[in-house]
Amino acid sequence: MSNVSNNAYALTVLSPIKNDHIGELSYGDIVRNKLIEWDVDEGSPMAKVPQTYLARYFILDDVFSEALAGGDFWGTSYDILAFFSDKFRRRALPKIDQLKSRYLVFSSNFHGDLEIYLRGMWAVMQKEIKEVWGYCYAFDHVHDADTFIAYIKKCQLNAALFFVGSTDDSLEEQLKSLYLKQEFSKFAVEHQGLPAMELQKAYQAFIRRVEPTNLAGPSWKPGQSTLCK
Amino acid sequence: MTKVLDLHDIQGNIVRAYGRFGFPVARYIFLQIRDGDKGRAFVGAVTNKVTSAATWGVGPHPIPKPKVTTNIAFTYGGLKALGVPRESLRGFPPEFVMGMKKRKDILGDDGPSAPENWDSVWHQEVHVFVSFNGQSQEFIEQQCQWLLQLIDQSDGGVVLLRGHRGDDGSTDLPYQDAKIVFENGKPTSKEHFGYTDGIGDPVFEGLPDSVLNANGRGKPTADGGWEPLATGEFILGHFDEAHEYPPAPKPFLLSRNSTFMVYRKLHQNVGTFNAYLEEQGKLYPGGKELLAAKFVGRWRDNGAPLVSAPDVERKKIWDAKFAQATSQERDNMLSSWDYDKDPNGAKCPFSSHIRRINPRSSLEFGNKGAFDTPGALSNRRRIIRRGLPYGEVKDPDRDDGNHGIIIMMINADINRQFEFVQQQWINYGNDFKASNDRDIILGNHSKEFPSKAVLPVEPDSDQVPFFLKAIPRLVETRGGDYFFVPSITALCIIAEGTIDPT
Amino acid sequence: MSNIAGKSYAMNVITPMRWYMTWINKLIFWIAQKFPSTLRGLVTLSLIHYARWVIIGRNQLPHLDKRQPKEDLHYSYMLFFSNFNGSWEQYVDSFTFSIPRGLDLFWKWNIRYPHSVPLTPFHKYIQYNQIETNHYYNATPLASSNDVKSAKKLKAALIEFDRKFNTAVPDQFLDQYNALLRNLQGDLGDMRPTPIVSMAAAAVSKRRFEDEKKLHQPNVNI
Repeated sequence: MSNVSNNAYALTVLSPIKNDHIGELSYGDIVRNKLIEWDVDEGSPMAKVPQTYLARYFILDDVFSEALAGGDFWGTSYDILAFFSDKFRRRALPKIDQLKSRYLVFSSNFHGDLEIYLRGMWAVMQKEIKEVWGYCYAFDHVHDADTFIAYIKKCQLNAALFFVGSTDDSLEEQLKSLYLKQEFSKFAVEHQGLPAMELQKAYQAFIRRVEPTNLAGPSWKPGQSTLCK
Repeated sequence: MTKVLDLHDIQGNIVRAYGRFGFPVARYIFLQIRDGDKGRAFVGAVTNKVTSAATWGVGPHPIPKPKVTTNIAFTYGGLKALGVPRESLRGFPPEFVMGMKKRKDILGDDGPSAPENWDSVWHQEVHVFVSFNGQSQEFIEQQCQWLLQLIDQSDGGVVLLRGHRGDDGSTDLPYQDAKIVFENGKPTSKEHFGYTDGIGDPVFEGLPDSVLNANGRGKPTADGGWEPLATGEFILGHFDEAHEYPPAPKPFLLSRNSTFMVYRKLHQNVGTFNAYLEEQGKLYPGGKELLAAKFVGRWRDNGAPLVSAPDVERKKIWDAKFAQATSQERDNMLSSWDYDKDPNGAKCPFSSHIRRINPRSSLEFGNKGAFDTPGALSNRRRIIRRGLPYGEVKDPDRDDGNHGIIIMMINADINRQFEFVQQQWINYGNDFKASNDRDIILGNHSKEFPSKAVLPVEPDSDQVPFFLKAIPRLVETRGGDYFFVPSITALCIIAEGTIDPT
Repeated sequence: MSNIAGKSYAMNVITPMRWYMTWINKLIFWIAQKFPSTLRGLVTLSLIHYARWVIIGRNQLPHLDKRQPKEDLHYSYMLFFSNFNGSWEQYVDSFTFSIPRGLDLFWKWNIRYPHSVPLTPFHKYIQYNQIETNHYYNATPLASSNDVKSAKKLKAALIEFDRKFNTAVPDQFLDQYNALLRNLQGDLGDMRPTPIVSMAAAAVSKRRFEDEKKLHQPNVNI
């Protein structure tokens, strides 16, 4: 399935939002406001969701109708047919589409299995999930992890192509690697030119401190936006 | 089909680095327009003497080489003060409208380079830039007298802005003077850190034959050759590398053959540089001069590129060949090379100045054919550099003397060319896989988060990569702005006040 | 609301295409997935964390409830979500110049796609069809895609080195340590926060920082 690239998964979810309102605000606007208010980086609710590399939310109000100049497959045919009837010139204009509902779009890139991921998500951000998905059709059937998973799968779209430019390692692996890169770069610079014995001693102390093989040891945190001191 | 440019319509400083054509001294003057009518009359008078890009001494009515060249440019504020209509003004790009001071966060002009530390002339609203390049100081003074007279005649409509820093702590000079560096009484093309400068100007279509050597200066082709870049990368109104006219203000007569210029006064911390080089040179296995070469990517004495002369031994061979070479061969030795034999930066480090400001085809990282052309990531980031050093180093152990470089960068799109290089390649390193490491010479290194650079070695050798630690800020911005360099036609219509983009 | 999270930029583009053309795009994507060498340009550019293309048939928008009106669209749609380093404004030239053919291959069948060269119409086409992200999360805002990849290489090399030479005799240790540095010399850049992406983004960041500060200040008499 194109959603999977080795151990990385591309989850694309479009959930239709009910066409209703609270006071002067439509449901779609309420959801958008909630999303905008969420804290960012390490404070984002997604930072609590295990194995999340990068994720985004937005409200799809409507599709765009094209009006800029550009190519068209039938372009030349229409041009020729237009000699005979003006209706072909008009038919060549892009059509105007309109969505009948607004959609909450959720896209996540994560490591591992879909169901485990969604279970993890339900476990740590139930409040926020209800806060945004609560205004969507059929979400009233969702009351636990299983029903949440079933709901998401009904809203899921499959990727035709998923390109992984970074790695498909677990998030812990990525964070630990970045931590080690930062720390080892510092170590290498600070200990330049030392004689063998002194260097080795310092190196051994360094390894004890950074614990390279221990993913649960010192590392970067998900969403960490400032440097370790 | 060879492109032909109307050189008479283009200002000369775009096409020619006067410093290399026998004009060792320059003066840069900044003015403010207080009255539109008088300002336009002034511009009209100056336009009569503006030096174009026409080649001197050729053709049926040859133009003699002038004793002093004159060129003029305007900030957005200047164009507005001269009455250029709003409809035209709206077509100028946002960064030009804002001016360089307000772009400080993008350019990394922080700490000692922050605008509050600039020469006081830049704390006023600069409108007009006039430059004189002279065969001698005497000719500059004469031309300057003429300009001062015109300013006088404007009766306060055009005002000279003072506030340039100079020798002996002076802070209120009326002009910025610049001149080539002399060594033992002989003129050199060096700057104050001792590097040979002014090599490697981009070559584009339409340049006069005398400078149309694209080897190493144009864009690299897939078969290892070189071609001139599209004119529109540097001059508005001509197709650029993206097969279109670069975005430009209306009407066409205002923008065609015009361009943009970034003027920056860069103070050089000579004392810090010398001390740092001395201290690190003792630690560096290759010695001080090789280390100095690694900072920039060229050897200080004669500009030999590290890619061709990566160590002391090979430099000797290069020097010997250079000594015997013809002028054309020398040019090729200095400019016609690429990084394909240096994928690891062992010869020319990734944080060396010239690799950062012009990576040539190295951003393909050895994956030949991965991109549409080898120069895909650098062709659109090329910049023409003009200008001269200013001041003198009286005490090489101090920073506070009056010494630095006036650099004027010419490009069709300030944001895509100059600002991109400054922000993404000089003060950041991701495109070079160097995370946030900066350009050694120009980077805005800070004390709070000490900068370092890696000087790599050949992977199959037994050498050790060298880490340049706690790089001090070697260069500080002391002033500047974004200018529009009109074509001669544009100057005429600005002066006449007849611009109407309806 | 931001398309930016640390060093990553979230791009969302939705473009219409004729419903009977979607098979061409699906085929092209399938080939690209099957033969990764077709994506060599993108890989060399090295700016992308993760990217995906989704084709939504005009009848395939999720319909979950009989009270939800059924969509009635003329066109099918292609969704493109990308996470890349730098802003679109800064890097459009890099994409267009390095992989113009690839861009055309993927978008050619969309309505009014203008080809990737010349640049300005292509730049405008993407911006026209771009939707702002309301919430963007990045687990590694301090790391670009290059940083993540080089970190992976470094961790593996360091662990291997440590396993073999942590307790070696000092001279051998030093030799091997130097070999490790040679191997990792291209992976030792210092990571810091991203350069500012634009004046607008910087202003929003600043305001957010000020708001945070105010929230955490002790209550002064109000």
